[in-house]
Amino acid sequence: MNGTPRGLNRALLAIAGLVLAALGTGLAVLAWVPAVALRWQDWAGPQVAGLSALAARTRLAPGAGSWIWLVVAACLLVLVIAMVAWVANQGKGRTNILFQRDGAADDDGAAGTVVLSSAIAEQSLKAALLERGDLLGVSVTSYDFRGQAAVRVRVLPRQGVAPHEVAADIASLVEAMDTLLGVQVPVLLSLGSGPRSRFTKAERVR
Amino acid sequence: MTQPAARIVKRETHSSRAPLSVVVAVLVTLLAVYGLLEAILRAVGQPPWLVDPVTAARRLAALPEGISPVLLGTIGVLLFLLGLICLGHAVLPGRRARHTIADPRVAIVVDDEVIASALARRARLAAGVTREQVMVVVSARAVQVNVRPTSGIRLDESRIRAAVEAELAQMALEPDPAVTVRLSTSGVIGV
Repeated sequence: MNGTPRGLNRALLAIAGLVLAALGTGLAVLAWVPAVALRWQDWAGPQVAGLSALAARTRLAPGAGSWIWLVVAACLLVLVIAMVAWVANQGKGRTNILFQRDGAADDDGAAGTVVLSSAIAEQSLKAALLERGDLLGVSVTSYDFRGQAAVRVRVLPRQGVAPHEVAADIASLVEAMDTLLGVQVPVLLSLGSGPRSRFTKAERVR
Repeated sequence: MTQPAARIVKRETHSSRAPLSVVVAVLVTLLAVYGLLEAILRAVGQPPWLVDPVTAARRLAALPEGISPVLLGTIGVLLFLLGLICLGHAVLPGRRARHTIADPRVAIVVDDEVIASALARRARLAAGVTREQVMVVVSARAVQVNVRPTSGIRLDESRIRAAVEAELAQMALEPDPAVTVRLSTSGVIGV
């Protein structure tokens, strides 16, 4: 539920996959089919000759290179920037504003804004959950999900704890938080297991 | 369940493809930075670091000369397989090993491992065996409970199945898996 661009990830991975598969097929065919290899050499040889002739013609100064290398460098620079932007977009989308409302004239006439920080939901839920003995880890984070704040609660129960009982308890906690705050934000509860819940002993008595 | 909650659950039960995306982006960046270096060295008339771009293009055009065909073909097959991996990640749904529990207020997703350990506990209590004798495998539509009885003590398969099914019914998972119980033919001693 973070802002990872999933469609973009899949589209770019598809492009990368197609390019790699086409390159691989081409190299394998070149290696094992002599007729194709001959045709490739006939086609590519003049192209490279044309390229080096162009580079020689467009020399900037005697002893220096051609400006087409600067064009190539600029294209590669754009590619690098695009890749860095792609990586930077993975997993973003945290927010620290849970709820925001501007004061309206028909409400009480007061100018101003009411802002609830995400820390309210995060800290109250976390404090309530950390008291439980059947949960080994609790993390509460808030994300901006399509323009609306949403809270993600990740808990790691001890081995053998029934997930639906934990879920029902946390759902009632969330309802209590709703009445406390006066607003309902979407809440995701994710029950998982980490290394700590895998290697600590199961709960025998509850 | 409301509209954003359904979207959130869909995102939580499917992989985001972020790790492979980062790997591909880093590899493309490294290649592009290397190409950038060689292009600029060429533009300012300096000697190349590893290979001059025109020489590289000439060698590429002369393929398959200058390299053994076996090596070239192997590189081709390897690149093709890597491309297939990327394509598979792009096209396949990428479901994660998680189930959802319907709830009017909260969107709930549970890792299959948590379900398995809860079911294992229930099966262990129903069978009266130790933790090490029960193994539960949970997949999207099936739950397999493997029990190794204590040697000399007969176990009732239907009781174990009833206990596990009752626990699953209480969980009300989506999708709802079917239970199979397997009693091992060999027992264990010394537990």
